[in-house]
Amino acid sequence: MPDRRETLLWLVRAIALSAAPGMALGPLQAEARGLGVAAAAAGAPATIRGADAEGYGRDPDLRHPRVTWPLTLDPEQKTAVTVLADVLLPAEEGSPAASTLGVPDFLDEWISAPYPQQRADREVILAGLATIRSQSPLADLDAASAEAIVAHLSAQAAAGREPQAHFFSRLRNICLVGYYTSMSGVAQLGYVGYQPSATFKGPPPEVLALLGV
Amino acid sequence: MAAEPFDVIVVGSGAAGGTAAYALTRAGMRVCLLEAGRFYDPERETPMFQRTAAAPLRDAGTPDKPFGFYDATVDGGWVLPEEPFATAPGTEFRWFRARMLGGRTNHWGRVALRYADHDFKAYSRDGYGADWPFTYAEFASWYDQAERLVGVFGSNPGLPDQPDSPPGCLQPPPVPRSFERLIMAGGRKLGRPVVASHTAVITRPINGRQACFYATPCLRGCSIRANFQSPTVLLPPARETGRLTTITHAQGYEVELGRDGKARGVHYVDRLTHRHHFVAGRAVMLGASAMESVRMLFNSKNSRYPQGIGADGGLLGCGVMDSTGSNVWGQFPQMENLPPFNDDGAWLPHVYIPWWAWPEQRAGKLPFTRGYHLELYGGRLEPSADTFDFFDSVSPFTYGRKLKAEARRYYGSFVRLSQRGEMISREHNRVQIDPVLKDAWGIPSLRFDVRWSEQELRQTAHAQQSMAEVIEASGGKLVTPLPHNPAQAILPPGRIIHEVGGARAGVDREKSVTDAFGRVWGVPNLYVIDGAVFASSAHKNPTLTIVAFALRASDHLKRELHHA
Repeated sequence: MPDRRETLLWLVRAIALSAAPGMALGPLQAEARGLGVAAAAAGAPATIRGADAEGYGRDPDLRHPRVTWPLTLDPEQKTAVTVLADVLLPAEEGSPAASTLGVPDFLDEWISAPYPQQRADREVILAGLATIRSQSPLADLDAASAEAIVAHLSAQAAAGREPQAHFFSRLRNICLVGYYTSMSGVAQLGYVGYQPSATFKGPPPEVLALLGV
Repeated sequence: MAAEPFDVIVVGSGAAGGTAAYALTRAGMRVCLLEAGRFYDPERETPMFQRTAAAPLRDAGTPDKPFGFYDATVDGGWVLPEEPFATAPGTEFRWFRARMLGGRTNHWGRVALRYADHDFKAYSRDGYGADWPFTYAEFASWYDQAERLVGVFGSNPGLPDQPDSPPGCLQPPPVPRSFERLIMAGGRKLGRPVVASHTAVITRPINGRQACFYATPCLRGCSIRANFQSPTVLLPPARETGRLTTITHAQGYEVELGRDGKARGVHYVDRLTHRHHFVAGRAVMLGASAMESVRMLFNSKNSRYPQGIGADGGLLGCGVMDSTGSNVWGQFPQMENLPPFNDDGAWLPHVYIPWWAWPEQRAGKLPFTRGYHLELYGGRLEPSADTFDFFDSVSPFTYGRKLKAEARRYYGSFVRLSQRGEMISREHNRVQIDPVLKDAWGIPSLRFDVRWSEQELRQTAHAQQSMAEVIEASGGKLVTPLPHNPAQAILPPGRIIHEVGGARAGVDREKSVTDAFGRVWGVPNLYVIDGAVFASSAHKNPTLTIVAFALRASDHLKRELHHA
């Protein structure tokens, strides 16, 4: 388990990130700073677990895949990620919501991994969640407030505002990957490969007609 | 081990060492094969039907597994903490290694093109680097044997840059995929050839191997033995002879010479126990990979060769090359919202764009002297962790129902064109032994000093433009604009994993490290048989040429030993 000092460091870093130039949620900065540090000082649940975790190594058992690192998100963060993911990728007829396909779990797996890309994403995602938490407790986030947050982030991203643009981009990308590499997501995109066959006949005539070749 | 009377000690079990083990054992010789990595059995270990959804991080590349969780590479990567190497100030070099039986043959792009005669005589053509010590005509029969052994699909379109294979060498290529047909149509508009790739995947059964069943990614390896890997194609027949002894975890580091000046065996360290061993043989073949074989020669110091065997002429380590590489991504509106269909094919490229402008180049109309070819990747592969890399470009800021519609719309509509070009051999592009750095077993490490020249940068600028033209002529759009400076487009040296050179073969011992059969000048029973001997590297992936060279060197050694 990480100690309080480590937790504090992460929170301070998260807040420093959210205080980058161009920050549009400006009025909330001071509040975030106060809330974050106060929460850590009061012994709030650890934000970062498994900071010393090891990866799966250079010779993992490929036929029995296993995630080897502890997860990061506490229940409140998980709640927030779940409602945000379901706004990004909502349920439609014949197409489940992100949370139904395990996207929040995948995001937790991703940002908890001890590799450079994932560690960078962890900072971005946790900083974004810390900023949201500075407005309201994460456990209280419902679909309507998540919708408002995502709409706000999208608009800020379109206006080129950082760090919202980067947070929106990484959150969206991780959710897209989690969703569309799941077996349901793969099927929704129309990927129908992985079928051993004695011959390869190439694309069907109706596809060739659509392609004009 | 010392009690075993071995004819040949072969260091390395990949394309070079695996080929030598195959050829020598079948010719009646007792071979001791030293492999630095662990034993590896693709038939048992390959995750053929494991799906992306089940892999950690959905199979995204990590420092532990740079090409994804399921990639065949074991104990390999760009950065191996136990095996550091240095780079000269202001330079960078990427060095991918795989410590496993079969080495990097387990993970490779499997493009298998013959060098043309002008590739073997590049120096005579433009004055850069050095010629190979033989002509295409002298080497062609070894390519024939290599293609029949490896198993290569392809065609013979009669192009000047791509020598035709005799009947019976190539297997029929699979028909093109959807995006490959778009590029073929674009190529026709531009008057550029888009022809069957030569790819080391079999489409008909040979040598007891099953043909490709058109499913599962080749870079994971192939448990049905339809693609070329040393542990599935070369080593089983060598084992069947009863004359192959394989020692794994054995990092060869020094060739010992006898009083007669001939190689008498190899020192290796067991990577698990850190114990040092010596194994004797009548001849030694180095196929440890170009850079590792050069490192072994440097580290083989004795009173006769105080700087290392082969280093007395000053050329050891010189002339290191990689292929140039750069990418351009296209997005194809015609490929949006297509109905579901299976476009997996043989997973690797079915077609490619050969170097087409060499007559123009020969006439001095281009600002660079060596060629490149273009490879095509993309289309409707299984969705992966990088499927949405371009969504901030094509569909920024979207979410909700719109985002899901956009995901369905754009999936499968991206194609990557990749340049693979020739880097000129230059003596100042070299490796040496670093004065202080050592690996975890105490063996002195390499220091790389390799830079692109204006030649490679101008070639890359041309290739970038060409790739953009092909994409646009095929109805696609560039996903991102071309960088203004080719230095921003070209990947760092080593990144294409075609590193060769450092112990150049030649006819003149003043200008080379080995003779035309890979024998180190002055040590007639010590052969270098891997990419280290390359005098030039063409723009063609080196593996097929390594296999052909190793077959030829093994045949030479067989005759030498019979003669003795």
